[in-house]
Amino acid sequence: MPMPRRALAAAAVALVLPLSACGSGGDDGGSTDASGKVEGDITFQTWNLRANFKPYFEGLIADFENTYPGTHVKWVDQPAEGYPDKLSADAAGGTLPDVVNVSPDLVAPLARAGLALDLDKAAGKYRSEYLQGAWASHRIPGMKGVYAFPWYLNTGPLFYNKELFRKAGLDPEQPPRTYDELFADALRMAGRSHGKVATLANVPTIEDFGRYGVPLMNGQGTGFAFNDAKGVELLTKYKQLYDAKALDPQALTATGESAGKKFLTGAVAMNPGSALDLGNFKKNAPSLYRNIGITDQITSTGHVNMYVMGVMVNSRTRHTPAAVAFAHFVTDARNQMSFAKKVAIFPSTAGSLDDPYFTKEDGTDETRVRVAAAKSLKNAVNYTPVLFSEQMKTALRNEVAKALQGKESPKEALDNAVGAADRLLQQG
Amino acid sequence: MAAPLGIRRQLPHSPWLFAAPGLLVTGAFVLYPFVSTLVNSFTDRRTLVPGRFVGLANYRELLHDDMFWTGLRNSALYILGVVPALVLLPLLLALLVQKNIPGITFFRSAFYTPVVASIVVVGLIWVWLLDERGLVNSLLETIGIGRIGFLSDQWLLLLSAMAVTVWKGLGYYMIIYLAALANVPRELYEAAAVDGAGPVRRFLSVTVPAVRSTMVLVAALSSVAAFKVFSEVYLMAGPSGGPAGEDTTLVMLVQRTGTGLTGRVGYASALSVVVFAVTVALMLLVLRADRREEP
Repeated sequence: MPMPRRALAAAAVALVLPLSACGSGGDDGGSTDASGKVEGDITFQTWNLRANFKPYFEGLIADFENTYPGTHVKWVDQPAEGYPDKLSADAAGGTLPDVVNVSPDLVAPLARAGLALDLDKAAGKYRSEYLQGAWASHRIPGMKGVYAFPWYLNTGPLFYNKELFRKAGLDPEQPPRTYDELFADALRMAGRSHGKVATLANVPTIEDFGRYGVPLMNGQGTGFAFNDAKGVELLTKYKQLYDAKALDPQALTATGESAGKKFLTGAVAMNPGSALDLGNFKKNAPSLYRNIGITDQITSTGHVNMYVMGVMVNSRTRHTPAAVAFAHFVTDARNQMSFAKKVAIFPSTAGSLDDPYFTKEDGTDETRVRVAAAKSLKNAVNYTPVLFSEQMKTALRNEVAKALQGKESPKEALDNAVGAADRLLQQG
Repeated sequence: MAAPLGIRRQLPHSPWLFAAPGLLVTGAFVLYPFVSTLVNSFTDRRTLVPGRFVGLANYRELLHDDMFWTGLRNSALYILGVVPALVLLPLLLALLVQKNIPGITFFRSAFYTPVVASIVVVGLIWVWLLDERGLVNSLLETIGIGRIGFLSDQWLLLLSAMAVTVWKGLGYYMIIYLAALANVPRELYEAAAVDGAGPVRRFLSVTVPAVRSTMVLVAALSSVAAFKVFSEVYLMAGPSGGPAGEDTTLVMLVQRTGTGLTGRVGYASALSVVVFAVTVALMLLVLRADRREEP
């Protein structure tokens, strides 16, 4: 029963040919003038918001269409997973929606490709409505202008397991606040538990370097600089944690989700999160919930990290006035406040954080987290450089892992990471 | 009997009409992307930036890219680890379930179940099992061996992913072997038994020669699949490809390099072309080995 060789060869070709596939782009111009009549059909894309906030967005769109007769907004929502890939496919295929939910690191490549409208020019009159830092968060180094309206802000608290603190002989009411305190507590906890309980489940990210006080980029924004003495010091301390098992052994391959599970099971004592996590703890880990401690992010600069969401206008939209008006409508003070009351986010509009909703506690954990986060947001910094791409994050993560494993010294690892990130930056 | 004139006149076009749908699909979804990738591999194209012709620069760069060699090493190791197991174990399994005895259908179905299970679900289940605090490590600790870092050690991670690939592929190749075994004449076994051959001798002298072509096919299919491995390693080692990216395979590297808003499409295309070339070379090797062994 010999199999015909031609059949085998055909099977081979059929199997190997699909190995290759990469797309190509399109180009179509639109107006950058937003001063005309607000009318026309536009598409608005959000980032994983339909499942929980469908009524809110339907109401928002209906309000806009009533305010501006002659407009029609088609709302599309994309899953969280693979969102950058979806954006890149749309951008390359010329099908990018008119108004798009983005983060600063996503808007940077789109702006550099000329696909994001410069809002300093097209919507500069709205600038004063937003917090100064928030408006600037979508500026791209090396480019003039602002490329997205700031939308909501967030800064996660740090959760900790009071029971594990108690067992390690640490005061559960005095969690660490700076990196030096964190390192001391973590080493103590690992020592007391004979390496069975780690304090952290994640390797340091670019935001950790920022909060430790490491300059991330040079003054001109043309190269990365986190390989200075301070950066090396941080990585050296993380190496000590890793060796002592104060950093979870699986941290080198951890994702946000896997780290969260480690915290739920009591394998790690501290984990960053958001107010939404409290419900998860209550439901899935009641004993952890009874012992949950909430504190600010660890920082040695006095400024916590904030995440900024934005709403970008596609520069190729055929209805620039409607797209700009809608992006502003979504992000104006009234609608941001309304959205903030539905989910634990914080408005980026000037004065909104002084609303009693963000300043008065009612005794529940939820309001405690909210008020604390709103307070820390007032002087928070978005540490993530907008030009720090996914490939750069991977390069840093891999070099950090090599340093933690002892394959490279912290200095070598950071030099390599900066070298790789700079090369990627130069390649544009 | 002669065909009517009208039908005879249409005959030359008919084969093309029948083939057209298949040709169109192949052209649009296989040939065009392939040619496009080949062209892109000579450019510095990025996701949102049209590329310039850079000659062989991408190919020269990958020769100096440590991650490329890591990917090539891991993909090659994957073949070495997975292919022998997937050639031999499903054959033994097929021999086991070949007999028509009561209840054997249950076992055939059970062995085939992993094939139809979603790789994501399978991957997650294995991650839970092999976690530092998972079932396997709890058992190992109970019997005094202690916990093993299946998911934190670079080599154990790769071995674990290989184990999942073998476990998931067993049923698929078992079915192929079952079809081949059904065609082996019973007389050959009877004659061998009469000649005094035991089960091992019958396996080596009757079964293996009879299914040799199928074994070559399985080797070819599984080596290509092993070289292209992505899901198992991605799910178990994480998006960064294990500690310090040391478990990255070539296809993972293509995905990581070429996707996203800042993806280096030109460089990823060059990587894809190398994957293609190596895979073709593998197939040719297997076919050549088959030809040499043919009596």
